[in-house]
Amino acid sequence: MAKFIVIGERISVTAPSINKAFAERDPEPILTRAKQQLDAGATYLDVNIGPAEKDGVDVMKWAVQLLQGEFDNVPLALDTANMAAIEAGISVYNRAKGKPIVNSADAAGRIGYIDLAGANDAICIALCNGEGIAKDNDERMTYLQTLLERGMMAGMEAEDIWFDPLFLVTKGMQDKQMDILEFIKMISDSGLNSTGGLSNNSNGMPKHIRPIMDSAMVAMAMMQGMTSAIVNPNDLRLMETIKSCDVIKNNTLYADSYLEL
Amino acid sequence: MPFKKTPQKFSAAIKAVEIGTGDKKTVLGGEGVMPLYSFDGPIENAPKVGVEIVDTGLEGEAKGIQEFYAGCTTPAEMAAKAATMEGADFIALRLESADPNGANASVEDCVATAKAVSEATDLPLVIMGCKNNEKDAQLFDKCSEALAGKNILVLAAKEENYKGVAAAAGLAYNQKIGTESAVDINLAKQLNVLVTQMGVKGENVIMNPGTAAAGYGFEYVVSTLERIRLAALGQDDTTLQMPVITPVASETWGVKESMASEEDMPEWGSRDDRGVDMEVATAVAVLAAGSNAVILRHPQSVATVSKLVKELI
Repeated sequence: MAKFIVIGERISVTAPSINKAFAERDPEPILTRAKQQLDAGATYLDVNIGPAEKDGVDVMKWAVQLLQGEFDNVPLALDTANMAAIEAGISVYNRAKGKPIVNSADAAGRIGYIDLAGANDAICIALCNGEGIAKDNDERMTYLQTLLERGMMAGMEAEDIWFDPLFLVTKGMQDKQMDILEFIKMISDSGLNSTGGLSNNSNGMPKHIRPIMDSAMVAMAMMQGMTSAIVNPNDLRLMETIKSCDVIKNNTLYADSYLEL
Repeated sequence: MPFKKTPQKFSAAIKAVEIGTGDKKTVLGGEGVMPLYSFDGPIENAPKVGVEIVDTGLEGEAKGIQEFYAGCTTPAEMAAKAATMEGADFIALRLESADPNGANASVEDCVATAKAVSEATDLPLVIMGCKNNEKDAQLFDKCSEALAGKNILVLAAKEENYKGVAAAAGLAYNQKIGTESAVDINLAKQLNVLVTQMGVKGENVIMNPGTAAAGYGFEYVVSTLERIRLAALGQDDTTLQMPVITPVASETWGVKESMASEEDMPEWGSRDDRGVDMEVATAVAVLAAGSNAVILRHPQSVATVSKLVKELI
């Protein structure tokens, strides 16, 4: 099995400093966060430029070239509601270290992102969700089938669609957590890849609790066969858990210094 | 239905590591396929065969080895002779005399031997120690200094002395360093991590994850070599993408099948034949499991293994 793939989530307009950096085309805050995440063990970096309705095309091109230029063609997940911006990003993207990821499609209004990924030979994150939150795993599986078929129609390989079970916040939806984990097993048993915004499970919890919950969740998700997650790689506890699970799963060969690698 | 050939493709590759200088320099590794799987992809650098010379002389060696070196009185003369051996890609000088529990030769004397050997041949040179960690670290330091620019391989840094060996041979004198573990896959990886964390580039490291003579716990050697190769290629583990070298002779000539005299074991037949059989069987097995180079002693073993490699790759 391949190593668990960490997609670093910290280059996002939800952080005010990054939002400002995108608006002003200021490289420094973006490069700093990129370096922190890569040093901590991220494989992919997510580039979330937000809705970016006005200047998305320019911002995404700028960000892709900035990050790949500085960090040896680091592979990126392009994350925006502006589809033209994703295509623009891919047009300047270097694939030497991995295909671009389109973030993300769902089985409702954003299903066209699958077509976009297919047309551009990209990986696509496919959220197994329609309108509102799926009521059970049968419904999630229906969305998965819809997305998979759409991907096949678009000429994609199944391995390039990374299914997202949609992690739900534990505070308020505690009774749904095992459903999500069981759904990850269903994805894995179908031989498909998976990813997702795992830290959503700890949303609203005190700051010191979140790394503990996220680590427990990632360990259980990896046990179920999850192959990737969109997380904060600078959460040391989480990264240590992922590396340890990779050893236990025989995804990486153990050495005493494995946490430093 | 016709047979459909499906090559096993990896996106990773073993690093190509060069030893020696000039026309005779040689490259270990570089392939992106499982051992000897030239049908899956190109193997640009076929496995290499080195000739081991021991600096304590020829006493007790098999007849065929003694005859080959007849007339040679020094390791340098032996090296010049060994270089004429058919299929010899490099010379491995084992400084056995340095052993504090043996002849306890001084580091200066050993360095002089190494220099003389280096001058006697233009084949790449591997310096092997006496298996005393402390003395070996000193030997590798001084030999690396004396042979600066010759791009030698010192065999090897171990858990007990890697800091000194990596700092001197690897960093100060820019030689190639071996990392040695005794059939312990996790330690094999850990040593590579440790020397690279000290600043030695992965391109300057060749690993010796250990061996046994065929029949002496050899299954464990095979599974270790294979797991290393699968991690390197299949899991793109950069800490294990170093080529592998296996000193075969020093293992196989120490087991009873190779040592017992014909007087003691008349029913076992010729000692040379037995020794060569052990050496060849072990060498071929480690090459098939993932080694990029073997170190042998008997001229007949060198000729046999190099011929096999030539015909396979």
